[in-house]
Amino acid sequence: MAHWTTFDKETERETKRLVRCIGGVQDEEDQNFQLAHKFAWSNFRFHRYLDVDSHKVQRSISGIHEKLMVHSDVRKAESWTGLTEEFLNSPLPNTEGTKSDAHYGVLSLLLFLSTSPLHTDFTERPRLKEAEEDSFDWAQYLREGEDGDVGPYPETPDWSEEESEEDDGQQPISREDSGIQLDRTPLEDQDNNNNNNKASPVTWTVGEPGARLWLERHVVTPYWVAHAPRFPHSLHLHSNLLNVWDQHLYNTDPLYLPEEKAFVTETQVIRETLWLLSGVKKHFIFQHHDGKVSVRSNVVVTHLTPNCLRSVLDHVAVFGQAVFRLQRFIDEVTGHGSEPSPPGSSHGSSHGAKRGSEPPFRTYQAFVWALNKYFTGFKEELTTIERELIRNDETVTLLAVLERLNPHLAQIKVLHKVFSTGVAEVPPETPNVVRASHLLNTLYKAIIEYDGAGEASEQAVALLFSLWTETVRPYLEIVDEWIVHGHLFDPAREFIIQRNKDVPVNHRDFWYATYTLYSVSETVESEEKLSDAASGSSAGEQGSSARQLTMVSFLKPVLKQIIMAGKSMQLLKNLDCKETERSERSSRDAERKSLYTRFLESVQSRLCSRAESPEDPAAEQQATRRSLIKMQSIISQHLEIEDVHDPLLAINFARLYLEQNDFHERFSGGELNVDRSSQSVTCQTFELTLRSCLYPHIERRYVECCGNLMKTLKKDYRLLGYLQAMRNYFLLEAGDTMYDFYTAIFDKVQEKESWQQLSFLNGQLQEAVGQRHPEDSSRLSIFLETIDPSRKKHPVNNLEVLTLGYKVPWPVDIVISSECQKIYNQVFLLLLQIKWAKYSLDTLRFSDFTDVAKKPSGAPVEDAKPKEPIKQQTHRMCLLRVKLMHFVNSLHNYIMTRILHSTGLEFQHQVQEAKDLDQLIKIHYRYLATIHDRCLLREKVSFVKEAIMKVLNLVLIFSDRWRAGFGAWKIESIDKMESDFKNCHMFLVTILNKAVCRGSFPHLESLALSLMAGLEQC
Amino acid sequence: MASAANANLNAVRETMDVLLEISRLLNTGLDMESLSICVRLCEQGINPEALSAVIKELRKASETLKAPENCTN
Repeated sequence: MAHWTTFDKETERETKRLVRCIGGVQDEEDQNFQLAHKFAWSNFRFHRYLDVDSHKVQRSISGIHEKLMVHSDVRKAESWTGLTEEFLNSPLPNTEGTKSDAHYGVLSLLLFLSTSPLHTDFTERPRLKEAEEDSFDWAQYLREGEDGDVGPYPETPDWSEEESEEDDGQQPISREDSGIQLDRTPLEDQDNNNNNNKASPVTWTVGEPGARLWLERHVVTPYWVAHAPRFPHSLHLHSNLLNVWDQHLYNTDPLYLPEEKAFVTETQVIRETLWLLSGVKKHFIFQHHDGKVSVRSNVVVTHLTPNCLRSVLDHVAVFGQAVFRLQRFIDEVTGHGSEPSPPGSSHGSSHGAKRGSEPPFRTYQAFVWALNKYFTGFKEELTTIERELIRNDETVTLLAVLERLNPHLAQIKVLHKVFSTGVAEVPPETPNVVRASHLLNTLYKAIIEYDGAGEASEQAVALLFSLWTETVRPYLEIVDEWIVHGHLFDPAREFIIQRNKDVPVNHRDFWYATYTLYSVSETVESEEKLSDAASGSSAGEQGSSARQLTMVSFLKPVLKQIIMAGKSMQLLKNLDCKETERSERSSRDAERKSLYTRFLESVQSRLCSRAESPEDPAAEQQATRRSLIKMQSIISQHLEIEDVHDPLLAINFARLYLEQNDFHERFSGGELNVDRSSQSVTCQTFELTLRSCLYPHIERRYVECCGNLMKTLKKDYRLLGYLQAMRNYFLLEAGDTMYDFYTAIFDKVQEKESWQQLSFLNGQLQEAVGQRHPEDSSRLSIFLETIDPSRKKHPVNNLEVLTLGYKVPWPVDIVISSECQKIYNQVFLLLLQIKWAKYSLDTLRFSDFTDVAKKPSGAPVEDAKPKEPIKQQTHRMCLLRVKLMHFVNSLHNYIMTRILHSTGLEFQHQVQEAKDLDQLIKIHYRYLATIHDRCLLREKVSFVKEAIMKVLNLVLIFSDRWRAGFGAWKIESIDKMESDFKNCHMFLVTILNKAVCRGSFPHLESLALSLMAGLEQC
Repeated sequence: MASAANANLNAVRETMDVLLEISRLLNTGLDMESLSICVRLCEQGINPEALSAVIKELRKASETLKAPENCTN
């Protein structure tokens, strides 16, 4: 390669750079590099391509231009031609001249390399043109074509910020004196920014004495000053109606005295109206007096009579006052702070600052937030109108403005109505809970009320619904917090249910006494505390329904569920749940949506489903018309059958049917509802919305919570086990165990030993229980109670000193409370008494008699006379014994099998199906009441029990005498016992028969029958 | 003289700027460096069609060169 020229070398160097640059191989030793280089080099040198043809290139350039034009890419096309032109006329580094072959070569290279120039996103970058930059007159360039229009006021003096800084001494034009008060309330900030025609960010100061004059001439005449100069106006009759009217009055009424008048233009009136409605407090035309807005009396416009203007403005003033009051309420709640924050996100720092340590009242805050939202939209509308007014493009009249604002004004009226009933009329010092529920109720009622008006009040319902959904937010958040975390967070005490602080969770009273339900009676507006009984149990429910209370009516249908879920959740949180589920649940909690969000989502999805269905209103209309025609033909046929030819009637019938169709659809597919954001939809059947959007979420949570609690109680806390234990020991279901216990006592009694010693009794009990149920032995204990000495006279009452106690651990003691144990104990005592009677009868032996019979035979001192009576007496004793046994066994059977066993089975079944703790408690109580009742322990039937006790007593006396031996009893006493027994027996049979015949106590039938059988044998 | 050279330099720089704009518009994928190499080569009389063919080929090759690298990585 020695013959290579420098030119070749240079080319080779460039080629290498090319390979490095494009191929990305840096190392010249690299095989790839060498290959690439060789390839390039050979291509450059040995190719078959034609030389560059400048015409061809030019054609391509114009072709691309055309292509871009065809694709309407004008900008790009222009850039393209401009750039290529510029390039062709620019010098290249090593080539002389322009439009040389090299130029075309480079261009053609780029054209070859180009890929889809149409689809590139190209914007020409401005290139620096250093030389030209300095001389270019931008101002000239930008003003090109403006031909010296200096604006509407050519004589405007020059205002500049510098100037104003120099003239510090000059007074700034305050907005106060122009009637355009600078508003300091946070809500109107943005509004004022929009109204910047009045308050530009630059401080306008009066630069020279003529400036104010200029302002007066060109911006606004100071109509608010007394004796303000009259503005020039047309002399046309229409513009001078006031003068004409004045003249007329002057001519007709000799006493007419023309008053001092303040002349304003209609534009000024409109603007003041707009300002009034946007909440500005200082005006000229409108005046504020103690929260009341009135119209200044002497304000007139030239083209209207004073009365006419006044009547219009009075109408406006009413709304102005409503706005003012609402605004003041907003300010009060937000404490004049910055923009009110959404409730929940921050707990109203401004509010807190104002009221010190008092926690924020979130319901009001939420309500204010909703109001504020509405007002923001309203003010936007006002600003738009004002901007139009300023632009002066079209005629804006007061009536037109009012017409335009009409829907808004109607809404403000609704808002104000709700506000005054819901908030303003509540006397001060009312507790927050009443305020909150009253406000929610008012909104709720208003929605239902307006809802009833149908389409006429669609807007109002939409507005109220959005207001309601916002206002209800704190409540739903409280509910959510409670039923999900078991924590009733309500620092401002605004929720209808409040936690009583003094009851700890792990106390047995927790379930009953922890929460207080506040219910506000709408008619008397007084607060009632339904403590304990009302807090969630059935009593509360009955109470609330009976008294027509209106504690937040929307929650009423699910109140029980909320309370149950909340309490269950709190209990659950406090139970040491052994399952690992707990941790999972907490991790899941992060992803969980709050009740409020879910509610909103449901509402929205409900709205969407409705909103989507009529996709194309025109098509739908057509379809309706088509079906109307079809329906009409069908109906006219029907009518013709009955010889009626009335097309109008047919059409109306058809329409009726169609409407009904619609009605059906509405019912099946849910009702129409409010889109919260657009507020454009009505909310028919508001309650249905709640039913489908809110209640299911609460219901689901309730089922979940209570299900969990029931599961935990049953599984981890052996609730069922404890219930079984109660039956085992108190109702003697663990027969063998208890047999050991009570026979030991009975034996002692029979042996006339003292048995009323705690140590002995407990020892016996432990021994009996410890053998078979060691886990319960520590829980069971016997107590002795001193009883009324008057009741001690019968031996059977001796047992009544016994009290069996079973220590039920928390939280099972919520179900098995001490009250329950008392009932259990009563049944237990009755059972013991029966068992005692039965035992003492069972243990009697005939051998006692034979001993007795033998004794006298061994000493035949006495004559045979008494022998006969002895035999007879023995026989009678035996007979009596059998009768007594029959009685006692009947009773025993009745109670043990017919009552305790079957009721127990029923109870077990119900317990399995209990959904929540309250239900379980109720089932348990009902069970206890049932057995208490059926064991004839009720006060009402105490006479029956008395009779039974008498018989049992008789049994004890009888067995005592039997054991004492023959000599101990006399014929009279047998007679007495027989007659006593007979009387009691008769009495019981009569009573029971009566009861059975009445049919009210079917369970008594068996007892009555068996006792009757015994009686017949007598 | 120096100022004349300077002016020339500026003019050339502007030309290159214009060229880069054109290249961007045509979506050629060339950057300033490769563009200047190409211009120099064109000025040396290399046939632009051949050059474009070489550039395309080199691009393809470097793509394939990179692809297995990526795979192995």
